[in-house]
Amino acid sequence: MIKECPHWNQVLSTANHGSHLFDEFETRATNAAATVYRVKTAIEARETLLQFIKSANVTKVVAVESKLQQAANINEAINTLGITVYTDPHEIALHAESADIGISGVEFGIAESGSVCQDAYTVESRLVSTLPPIHVVFLNSTNIVPGIEDAMNILSKTYDRGYISFITGPSRTADIERVLTVGVHGPSRLIIIAVDEEV
Amino acid sequence: MEGKHRDIKQEIEQKLNDDILRQALARFAEAYPQSRAKAYENVADIEALRDSVKQMKEHTVANLEAIVDQFEAEAQKRGAKVFRAATGDELKQYLINLCHEKGVKRIVKSKSMASEEIHLNAALEAAGLRVKETDLGEWIISLAGQKPSHMVMPAIHLNRQQVAEYFSQELQQDIQPDIPLMVQVARENLREEFLQADLGITGANFGIAENGAIGLVTNEGNARLVTTLPRIHVVIIGYEKLIPTIKDAAPILRTLPRNATGQCLTSYVSMISGQVPTLVKKDNQWVEANKALHIILLDNGRLKAAKDEKFKQIFQCVRCASCLNVCPVYLLVGGHVYGHIYSGGIGAILTAFLNSQGDFEAINELCIGCRKCTTICPGKIDIPGLIEELRIRSVTENGLPFTIRTVFDNILSNRKVFHSLLRVASLTQKPFKSGEFIRHLPLFLAGLTKDRSLPAIADTPLRDKITNITKKLDNPTKKVAFFSGCNIDFVFPATGESVYKVLQDLNVQVVFPEDQSCCGKPIIGMGDLETTKKIAKRNIKAFEKAEVDYIIAACPSCTETLHATYADILADDPAWAERAKNFTAKVREFSQFVAKQYEQTGRLNKETPGGVKITIHDSCHMKRVLNIHEEPRKLLESTPGYELVEMKDCDKCCGMAGAFGMKYPELSLPLLKQKIQNAKDCGAQVIAIGCPACMMQLRGGVDKQAPEISVKHIADILADTIKK
Repeated sequence: MIKECPHWNQVLSTANHGSHLFDEFETRATNAAATVYRVKTAIEARETLLQFIKSANVTKVVAVESKLQQAANINEAINTLGITVYTDPHEIALHAESADIGISGVEFGIAESGSVCQDAYTVESRLVSTLPPIHVVFLNSTNIVPGIEDAMNILSKTYDRGYISFITGPSRTADIERVLTVGVHGPSRLIIIAVDEEV
Repeated sequence: MEGKHRDIKQEIEQKLNDDILRQALARFAEAYPQSRAKAYENVADIEALRDSVKQMKEHTVANLEAIVDQFEAEAQKRGAKVFRAATGDELKQYLINLCHEKGVKRIVKSKSMASEEIHLNAALEAAGLRVKETDLGEWIISLAGQKPSHMVMPAIHLNRQQVAEYFSQELQQDIQPDIPLMVQVARENLREEFLQADLGITGANFGIAENGAIGLVTNEGNARLVTTLPRIHVVIIGYEKLIPTIKDAAPILRTLPRNATGQCLTSYVSMISGQVPTLVKKDNQWVEANKALHIILLDNGRLKAAKDEKFKQIFQCVRCASCLNVCPVYLLVGGHVYGHIYSGGIGAILTAFLNSQGDFEAINELCIGCRKCTTICPGKIDIPGLIEELRIRSVTENGLPFTIRTVFDNILSNRKVFHSLLRVASLTQKPFKSGEFIRHLPLFLAGLTKDRSLPAIADTPLRDKITNITKKLDNPTKKVAFFSGCNIDFVFPATGESVYKVLQDLNVQVVFPEDQSCCGKPIIGMGDLETTKKIAKRNIKAFEKAEVDYIIAACPSCTETLHATYADILADDPAWAERAKNFTAKVREFSQFVAKQYEQTGRLNKETPGGVKITIHDSCHMKRVLNIHEEPRKLLESTPGYELVEMKDCDKCCGMAGAFGMKYPELSLPLLKQKIQNAKDCGAQVIAIGCPACMMQLRGGVDKQAPEISVKHIADILADTIKK
């Protein structure tokens, strides 16, 4: 997949980051109504996702591939449940609106706010994360930076052109009587599957 | 000058009777400070963070031209078309031409206050285009045919029943007033609009010169759809949103969501630099193409402000609207009254530059100058100061209304005439007076005395008592001059006597320069700079003759005016600048001065608790201009017979605010009522105060509402403990 920045991990390795920040990240992400799973291996990540899919009455999935998804053969595994996964950009464009789940990787997490940073250069990465009611992201649990300032410092080294998104929990509104309601235009659920194993 | 036609008084009355609005704002006022505080719990140094926003923006506006050029060049390099629109009309024409040229029929928008500012939707619709707001609040407002009443929560004034009615009308079906259901209805209806749209319009929370990126800070996810689905993306960005570098976005992202909605970060922050890929349907096939990106930089008054020494501050605004969320007046009447397109204090200032002076003048008096907003604004904008400056400019340009000018010219700027009139007033009010308060004013003033008694002018002003209360001290440690201010001189002379008693008890010689007059605060508050200068010079002269170590005032507004305003307004006058500086250097506020003396002489000891419960009302100018709030507490804790208790919102405006309380009693009284209620709730029997204007307001309030509570100036409380 084309990205705004082809070498995120390289840049991250020069920044203050690490799994010691994960607990803070998890707390903040959970406060923002995201669901966080932390697993050790890519295989466990796959099983966690399959469990979730089985429980969520899913019939259609759109996914942009990440290294981790490929390493754990995640799409094939979803297929074995009898569920179609669309990964081709044109197919994603056709099916994202009616899919139940969109899947993508994200580059890093921000402990201060519980956000994840998505390199959203390609249109399909944006479609899978905006149109379906559930967005599942895979994140390496060591790729957590302390704060928003650190995140912008990383972007200042990588971000030349393209589309970057910080995503913090599900889509939300409080525009009627200041009552918090999720899932207004984007997903009503954000599932973060954080994997310790480096892939 | 459409603003001149507004009947603000009538609008206020209408909103005060709008129970839905009142309840919504009251609930919000209650919840906001807590949710903001919670969002900042993991920020180590909020002040430093605010400073970094301020400094970054100051740097930007100082180098604006270069930063605009860089932003334009970098965006163009990445495939964007950049258009600089001088006015709203230019912007509209560009956009309409673009739509015609590209065969655009349907437009979706995410939130853009700049488009509200120039009434963009109406122009697009008139050109035959279908335009849909997709931010839920903005959509509701557009269905209702209204203007936003808050910059972040545009529909805060509506309840679910009203929203359900607008939805039912629009969709021609019966929509139940159930919030999750209505959100779902909006999702389904607007989803279709996103999918069908040819062009998406967004605003921008920031624009980065370094790489030509624009940033969008949203919660609903509509901006991501607006920027992803249609084949053309148009950004409308005001010049004030530009920042130099990617890193400079950090302080904005760390303050804007926390201040606006109490979130560490909003659900989505999207940054778009240059053209990004999109899929377009060609011959029934999806083909990848670069999305057309048009960035329109809107001036409409902004560049003029950028060059203005004072008003370049508006570039420090990140549009979080937190100044509204703590504004006592906004929280009573909402943004339809206190606002034009942009609401509240910052809204009033933006209105003057981006809309018209007339629209500003219609609402400018609603800023009571309590300065609460200045304590939380991420960009540290001096909102009340800028409003006062706008008033000054308006008066300099257009003069004051004839009657007020007559009063200022002939009465206030002439001490003898002013003081003779006050003496006459003390006689003529007799028929209406009972005890210390005027209880029955003539009928036409009836509105003013409802729920509040007005104080009477004292029989003998302080200046006539000076000889009797002055002690000749043999070996005084210091010599000070007392600046009484009008209130202590003519309404509360007893408090002036207390000041003398406390200071003389400290072995401080006190003198009273006879030629002193009003400090000028109410006059500069009306924007009359010239009269204020005259008064300042007269007062400086009067005190120079006294040759004292310090000048003491027991009124925070007088202290502020003597201490800060005089030096400021006379700085450019070569004959007076130095004299003003020497004068202001000597000015001290009473409780601060006394607390220091007590501390030095070992009198600041915490007594054993117990006794009469006493609470402190922190006057706006005492706390937020002079930064004095610990000293009065230390003094009271050391006063035998009292137990200090704190009331809720102890530093919220009591509603007096100079002439505001008299001109807008309908707004002043609810603020007063709440204050007295808070004092009652904490069980206080005495409210201690450092400001005679607040004392006037609160004494009148307890007289009607809680006669069991007494209101005392700190000087009176201290004087009571001194024998003799």
